[in-house]
Amino acid sequence: MAEGGVNAALGNVDPEDSWESHFKDTVKGGAWINNQKLVETLTKEAPERILDLEEYGALFDRTPEGKIVQRPFGKQSYRRTCYASDRTGHEFMATLVEEVRRRDIDVMEEIFVTNLLKTNNTVVGAFGIEYKTGDFLVFRAKATVLAAGGTGRIYKTTSNAAQDTGDGYAMGYRAGASLIDMEMFQFHPTGMVFPESACGRLVTEGVRGEGGILTNINNERFMKRYDPRLELAGRDVVARANATEILEGRGTPHGGVYLNISHVDAHIIEDRLKTMLRQFLDTGVDIRKEPMEVAPTAHHLMGGVMVNEEVATDLKGLWAAGEVTGGIQGGNRLGGNALAGTQVFGKIAGENAAKYAQNVEKPSIDLAQVKKEIKHAQSSLERRKGIRPVQVRTKLANLMWDKVGIFRTGKELQEAISEIGRMQMEEIPRLYATGKGTRYNHEWIKTFEVENMVLTAEMMARAALMREETRGAHYRKDLPKTDNKNWFVNIVIKQENGKMMFKKVPVVMTLLKQGA
Amino acid sequence: MAKTVKIKVFRYDPDIDKEPHYETYEVPYSEGLMILDALNYIYENIDGTLAYRWACRAGQCGSCAVIINGKPKIACRAALEKEEDVTITPLLQFPVIKDLVVDLERGLRRIERMRPYVERVKKAPRPEIMTAEAIEPIKEFRECIECWACISACPAVAEAWQEFSGPMYHAKFARLQFDERDVEDRVKMAFIEGLYKCTTCRACVEVCPKEIEIPEKAIEKMRAIAVRTGLGPLPGHAEYTSRAIKFGRTVDKIGTSLLEMVQTGYAARVKNPKDTVGYFPGCLTDYRLQEVGKAIIEILTKNNIEVIVPSEFTCCGSPLIRAGLVDEAKENLVPKNVKILEGLGVKTVVTGCPGCGMTIKRNYPELIGRELGFETMHVSQYLARNVDLNVNDMTSVNVKATIHNPCHLNRGLGAPDDLENVMSKIPGVKLVEMEEADRCCGAGGGVRAGERSISMMMARRKGEFIINSGAEACVTQCPFCYIQIRDILKQLGYEQIKVYDLADLMVKSYRGEKP
Ligand SMILES: Cc1cc2nc3c(=O)[nH]c(=O)nc-3n(C[C@H](O)[C@H](O)[C@H](O)COP(=O)(O)OP(=O)(O)OC[C@H]3O[C@@H](n4cnc5c(N)ncnc54)[C@H](O)[C@@H]3O)c2cc1C
Ligand code: SF4
Ligand code: SF4
Ligand code: FES
Repeated sequence: MAEGGVNAALGNVDPEDSWESHFKDTVKGGAWINNQKLVETLTKEAPERILDLEEYGALFDRTPEGKIVQRPFGKQSYRRTCYASDRTGHEFMATLVEEVRRRDIDVMEEIFVTNLLKTNNTVVGAFGIEYKTGDFLVFRAKATVLAAGGTGRIYKTTSNAAQDTGDGYAMGYRAGASLIDMEMFQFHPTGMVFPESACGRLVTEGVRGEGGILTNINNERFMKRYDPRLELAGRDVVARANATEILEGRGTPHGGVYLNISHVDAHIIEDRLKTMLRQFLDTGVDIRKEPMEVAPTAHHLMGGVMVNEEVATDLKGLWAAGEVTGGIQGGNRLGGNALAGTQVFGKIAGENAAKYAQNVEKPSIDLAQVKKEIKHAQSSLERRKGIRPVQVRTKLANLMWDKVGIFRTGKELQEAISEIGRMQMEEIPRLYATGKGTRYNHEWIKTFEVENMVLTAEMMARAALMREETRGAHYRKDLPKTDNKNWFVNIVIKQENGKMMFKKVPVVMTLLKQGA
Repeated sequence: MAKTVKIKVFRYDPDIDKEPHYETYEVPYSEGLMILDALNYIYENIDGTLAYRWACRAGQCGSCAVIINGKPKIACRAALEKEEDVTITPLLQFPVIKDLVVDLERGLRRIERMRPYVERVKKAPRPEIMTAEAIEPIKEFRECIECWACISACPAVAEAWQEFSGPMYHAKFARLQFDERDVEDRVKMAFIEGLYKCTTCRACVEVCPKEIEIPEKAIEKMRAIAVRTGLGPLPGHAEYTSRAIKFGRTVDKIGTSLLEMVQTGYAARVKNPKDTVGYFPGCLTDYRLQEVGKAIIEILTKNNIEVIVPSEFTCCGSPLIRAGLVDEAKENLVPKNVKILEGLGVKTVVTGCPGCGMTIKRNYPELIGRELGFETMHVSQYLARNVDLNVNDMTSVNVKATIHNPCHLNRGLGAPDDLENVMSKIPGVKLVEMEEADRCCGAGGGVRAGERSISMMMARRKGEFIINSGAEACVTQCPFCYIQIRDILKQLGYEQIKVYDLADLMVKSYRGEKP
């Protein structure tokens, strides 16, 4: 759950800040392949959305004048990141849940959606399973918004929650939507390394924002060798620096680097980094006094379902918002931009979907599709033997970490793709759940998740192989240069006649010419 | 072979099983493993049908709470102990869907009913100006991740959830009340939802992953507003609180008080004393349980500790503060006691009443705006930590006894083990365990006086645990618990189980008397 904060050019701390500056930082940070129309919307509307949240009842930390306070985050020209201690995402969720309760919006919890349903090339709802009973549900909808989040769980070491299994990308793909920038996956520079149980757990960028310093085993502030912005360089740069230090033998005993904040006043740590303080105290480390050990962790997929300025997908009846979408963050996301995106584009998606719904008839559902879903769902329950989802997930997560990770090579990507292909052929059809009951059978649900993970992984690995250069978070050891002549483009994926098709499309630019 | 830990897990699939049962699994132990890792291990390697919830594994989503060896906790932050077998059961108060997964619907509906959002009458200004000071009292409550651990731990909720919604809800009421943007009367809502039914036992604080101080910062603060707006205190609180304000004692005097019985104003004579302490008896010991007071002084003296008993004192204010009469306590009682106790010139003040101890230690500094000039300790805490106990002069008491651990000692003063440590040193004590020795007896927080029926429900459960333990005696060290337990055992027809203050038992051992 998001921790460090949310970017909005409110200018509360640095009055010179502006949406234009936020725009520029985002596009530069994104290695120039962001859709600039979307970035414009993001940066212009973020401040209003933060104020919306405050109106709903959110409590952000304050400046002395009583405005929302802002801290520096990586690669940003001004102090722009608003926060509620280091539990900003929780503050968002708590607030939104309260607002949902105020408006008495119907929420159905613990429903797993297996697929979008389509009639005449229009999305008309979705098929799902209720955890509690195992009952099948058909949602018939005039308009559908996809907001299924990310896919960090396809990696062995990740900051992401159990449910971040790429369902949205896979469902979008299967329904025939286009996906963009799927090779652009962000590794957060600082995840916990010890104990094993905590491995990958996020150490928020807020630590570096508040003055945290990275050192290696030789007590060297190694970021000096990598980037003049030191710890507040882009996430890709810091993640690679940390990984390099560790790979080259300058790591800590537990295989990380040191992140130290103990020079900062204890009360500042207690107030602004409370979650981190607790999270490390749990493991016997007092960050007020000692350094943390950290290493990169799989964090965020920049790519995703392609949307236009209306956040409509290229499927009629389907809108999308949040991490499931691609194009906004480009080749690398600035810390604090994801939360901003959820609010800005979530609102647009909701409004446009609602507007559309007012003007169309209730669609009909194609029963053949529903039957197919039921049959598919039942097959893994009926199967008596085969392969358990956890086995596939473990293999996939190791594979992705080793071969589609921070540093990539054509050879390894190729290997990953063939292994994924083998999993698709040999393992996915044999997935089964040990328990045969339908009541809260989460192994059953995981069979769908794993299928989605493997499909998402395939898109990511193949797009990564296709992009023959280094850009943003996508680092090719065999092709370490950025190749603007051939690769200043986005890669778009779409299913055509049952095949995964890739094409290069020009980057959407509005205000900023490349390199400006 | 690698060390393993035995994990006993509650299993129940209502579609298949006639009734719930337990399965035991062996899980390899390694340093830093959490309970959630153990559950994942079981699911991944032993039994794929195990149902449990989790998402963030970072203590942030609140989905993974279960009961671990009797205590509700979030599984992702509860450490697996190397030497300890573990029993895991689902949260209480909710119907089980399967295994460790419960149906929270009833609890969620109840949140919705409380209109849990900032209610405004005017459109919010954009941007809105709110100072850091204004949000300070609310921030802590915002950390709540709705894990439901506190609801599962609360002894008052366990008896009558209909009447008392419970800690998490009251944290939400307080958060909204203290938010200057919200226009609703949250105190009234909280009052209707059982504001006065909390015993301030701190069981909720103990289990809360965010350590939210609900009794102190929500319940008591809300009661204080209730008093200012005329909603509180309850009729049952009227008599003793006004007596405390007028006469400095919550009870009236019958016969001779402790202060009249013992030497006051200067130290009891001890040759070569190892330490000198002040003794704060509190209302009940002074006027009702004088023998306990005398015993405490005698025990300390036996251990070569000089004791100064003040020649006067007033009620510590706890009964008032717990009922919401904070202003009254602050004005009439607290300054007087501070002057008296600091006037003793000692480093340590001991008391036999955990309520007094907790109030002096936790509430006084906030009420007078500075630290006190002495340390406050419960007598068992003092004996366990500062004294090399004189066991040579003790004689065997020969009693099979169980311990009731008072909430305000255990969690209020942060001394979970001291009572047992001291008691186990008395020769002839055969300790028998009761279920949940640290469960609230229902006497505290003004609940016994103000909400007798729920108080007695809590007492009854305590009484049954005591009876089931098979002990001949129940030992505690709190005048309120003592009276409550004595009453309930009598009501349940078990007068033959004796109730002792620890000092009673110990002094008998020193005097060579048989209990
Ligand atoms: C530890 C951590 C810290 C972060 N910190 C920050 C930060 O400080 N600032 C910032 O800007 N960003 C941060 N991020 C990124 C940001 O939190 C996410 O990108 C953002 O929360 C995504 O929001 P979302 O609404 O798109 O998806 P989510 O919040 O992931 O929500 C997706 C929802 O869809 C549900 N879902 C998924 N699949 C299905 C299905 N098949 N059927 C039914 N439901 C489904 C999921 O259960 C989930 O509830 C952080 C991320 C992590 C993991
Ligand atoms: S202090 Fe005790 S009685 Fe009061 S809310 Fe907490 S657990 Fe319940
Ligand atoms: S108050 Fe604490 S224990 Fe209770 S629900 Fe909130 S976080 Fe959990
Ligand atoms: S898994 Fe989220 S709080 Fe434990």
